[in-house]
Amino acid sequence: MSRTRDLLEATLARLLREGARYADIRSTVTEHQIVKVRNGAIETLASTRDKGIGIRVLSGNGWGFAAESEDSEQALHRSALRALEIARASHVASTDSVMLSPIDPCVSSWSSSYRIDPWSVPIQKKIDLLLETTEPMRSDERIHQATGEISSYRQEKVFASSEGSWIEQSTTEMGGGIEAIAISGGEYQRRTYPNPFGGDFQARGWELIEELALPENGLRIRDEALALLDAPKAPAGTFDLIVGSSQLALQVHESCGHPVELDRALGLEISLAGGSFLQPPMLGNFRYGSDLVTIVADATIPASIGSFGFDDEGVPAQRFPLIEGGIFVDYLTGRDTAPVLGRRSNGTVRGESAMRIPIIRMTNINLEPGTTSVDEIIAGTRRGILVDTNKSWSIDDLRLNFQFGCEIAWEIENGRIGRMLKNPIYTGMTPSFWRSCDAVGDRASWHVWGLPNCGKGDPMQTMRVAHGAPVARFRNVEMA
Amino acid sequence: MKSRDESLEIIERALAAAAGDEADAVLCSVDRNISRFANSNLHQNMSEISAELTLRVVADSRIGVASTTGFEPEEIRRIAKLALDAARRGKPLPHFRGLVREAGSLADLPTFDEETASLPILRKAESLRAVFDEGARRDVHFAGSWSTASASITTGNSHGLRRHAPLTFADAVVIAGAGNGSGFATRIDRRASRVDLFTLAAEATEKATMLPGQTAVEIEPGAYDVILEPAALAEIFEWMNMITFSGQSYEDGSSFFVDHLGQRVVGENVSLADNPLDEDFMPFPFDMEGVAKRQVLLIEEGVARTPVVDKVMSDRLGLPLTGHAAALGSEDHGTALHLSLAGGETTREELIAGTERGIWVTRFHYLNGLLEPKTALMTGMTRDGTFLIENGRVTRRLVNLRWTQPMIEAFSNITGLSRERRGIGSWWNPIGGAIAPTVRIRDWKITGVQKS
Repeated sequence: MSRTRDLLEATLARLLREGARYADIRSTVTEHQIVKVRNGAIETLASTRDKGIGIRVLSGNGWGFAAESEDSEQALHRSALRALEIARASHVASTDSVMLSPIDPCVSSWSSSYRIDPWSVPIQKKIDLLLETTEPMRSDERIHQATGEISSYRQEKVFASSEGSWIEQSTTEMGGGIEAIAISGGEYQRRTYPNPFGGDFQARGWELIEELALPENGLRIRDEALALLDAPKAPAGTFDLIVGSSQLALQVHESCGHPVELDRALGLEISLAGGSFLQPPMLGNFRYGSDLVTIVADATIPASIGSFGFDDEGVPAQRFPLIEGGIFVDYLTGRDTAPVLGRRSNGTVRGESAMRIPIIRMTNINLEPGTTSVDEIIAGTRRGILVDTNKSWSIDDLRLNFQFGCEIAWEIENGRIGRMLKNPIYTGMTPSFWRSCDAVGDRASWHVWGLPNCGKGDPMQTMRVAHGAPVARFRNVEMA
Repeated sequence: MKSRDESLEIIERALAAAAGDEADAVLCSVDRNISRFANSNLHQNMSEISAELTLRVVADSRIGVASTTGFEPEEIRRIAKLALDAARRGKPLPHFRGLVREAGSLADLPTFDEETASLPILRKAESLRAVFDEGARRDVHFAGSWSTASASITTGNSHGLRRHAPLTFADAVVIAGAGNGSGFATRIDRRASRVDLFTLAAEATEKATMLPGQTAVEIEPGAYDVILEPAALAEIFEWMNMITFSGQSYEDGSSFFVDHLGQRVVGENVSLADNPLDEDFMPFPFDMEGVAKRQVLLIEEGVARTPVVDKVMSDRLGLPLTGHAAALGSEDHGTALHLSLAGGETTREELIAGTERGIWVTRFHYLNGLLEPKTALMTGMTRDGTFLIENGRVTRRLVNLRWTQPMIEAFSNITGLSRERRGIGSWWNPIGGAIAPTVRIRDWKITGVQKS
């Protein structure tokens, strides 16, 4: 490692000599393994290993970024010169001045922890678990697809900056989930556990897959998918809405996590992903939600895929409030955006790998738990709908008008859970929705859901983020 | 970008390292620059030089896949071992009859443009600065991206098939902002000379500055005539690719093509093909399994013809191989990368003039097609230029609107298509995109508005 460090630091020193104001280098090795079965056969058995070197240079007011998937000394040299050339070209079309918030350079390392290394578990054991889980799900001919998936992920990363930081990080994660698709006539229903799109993900090892208890949940989601075929459609109208933890995690993601990204608020992402209704003058005075709504960014939670030791600018992971007692108080920021607010970076800049430029990304964006039990929330609802598990998601370019579809719903009548309902869709405007929150579930209903596929940037980067969310109730929500 | 010889040499080594009954391999090599701008400021300017090898091994009708960005002999041996180990597990894939042997002859297509491949980054920055300065004179600011790339795709299999093609593309997106208005323009082409940033900026500016002095107004939810420009249709096609046209959606029963092949599913004026041979729109000669591309009709005058499939799904469903493997081991089992909606006989302006009361939509934002895939029920928002049409005239700028609409119904309600078509790129599709006319659709369901 010392030769690598010498090489990277010499490259950074040379970039400064050539006139760069600042430079950093990231090197990553990312490994991914996916095991997926469908209807008794192996659908996917895939392994990837991607290497990369990414160099970022600031020259004048121009940023340049160059990356190569080859990790040789020659590639490092080429990328450095290329990044400098691009930064100088960018200065020509730069109409704004770039300031970097100050940082205390550090030499450090960090790694997530696990009990059983995902790569130490034989592939056959993963296949057997998935088949043991999904084969019994196919016992009814209306189950058209029974699918199971287990994925393993590891990224080794080195960060070096021209300011003297040298940081080594290692993240190991696993995820797993199952899905049943039931079809009868023209009706099509999907049910998943514990979450759609590959399941739940945590920065842990095989012990996570064991705790998910996939076989114990296979027949339950089979039966729910079948029951949904004959369930009545969730009614349209205005209802008190109880949102389950996994669906609320995505609600937090789309209607809070993205709009508090400062680059969006400043218009820097508007061409692809859109902007934000939360503008800097609203800091500290805009009522985003009810008094019960406190949302924090916390990159320090153990075992979560939104956690890390340092972001990709070398800023330490932090915990800070975004929405405090319903009031909008902070953004997710980076070193070149925080100065716009007169603040220091709060450490949320990350790239998918060294091949992608680091940008502001969510960490763990959590709705803090309240004090009401789920039973109390249901008992306190005279006429409502309980929805859970996301099926579809859509929100406008300022993160105001949203519409979510869920896999499943139940009606609530006089404080009791009633019939199962299919195809629930709810819609609203972000501030009025969160202001209507009148019950937040306690810690027993709170779970940190890992989402490994948050898309942002151009070229698109998928980032691994997470959301702690309890069950919560919202008054007078429009169902479509 | 790796040369033809370098690429083929890596493919040969990968196939030689692969044990098992059969194997195929793909090498994708990319050299691209993306300049992103916002508030008339170039804030991200990126270069990527990358190459990735994917190796697929078949053993007793079972498949294993491994990929890497390293091409040293020991790394290739490592992924060959991983792929073989994976392929030796589980049950044989249902009905799989092995990798492609008859792949057809390739069309000679103009996929590469030297000028695009060598466009200097400084010249791009100077062009952007000129666009920003011109906008400043009109109090208009710009956001967007401008990508130029050269790449090559090389594929081969253990039956002796070898394919290689270099390609280039230029893709620009421009959003103009003026007061409370915004406008949008985009174009993608194999040749950078046909993606003119100044023309796109002028087009976006025209939309942003239309109806000056007006504040955008809301309209009541309900059914409206809508005029959708090509960028809006392209976003719908992206989702239909996944939920309607892919081999996987056909196999899992979610596609509305299921049980309806050969039957009329939408209006007679809808003919949708995958056409990678169109020399005017992102031509490319083969898929990742090496199958020669041809035009494939998905919907012909309203009649469902075929989903698009790779070899695994072709064998499983008993459908003809269409040549739509977008990656080795892709879970979609078929993706149409060159969707092409046939145009009509009119113009956008005539469609507007013939509309008594309707909505003119430039583009959509954040579509989702997973609500009820059997009818392709989708929801999404409008953005960057939504206008009210009254008595054939554009009269008001509208706030962004939410809509929720089954596409099987919408494509049965098309009342006009323009002659002119435009190619639209997509972030997930490095080889092609979608090309479409402007269309008018009756009874489009507006279900909400954007309000703070």
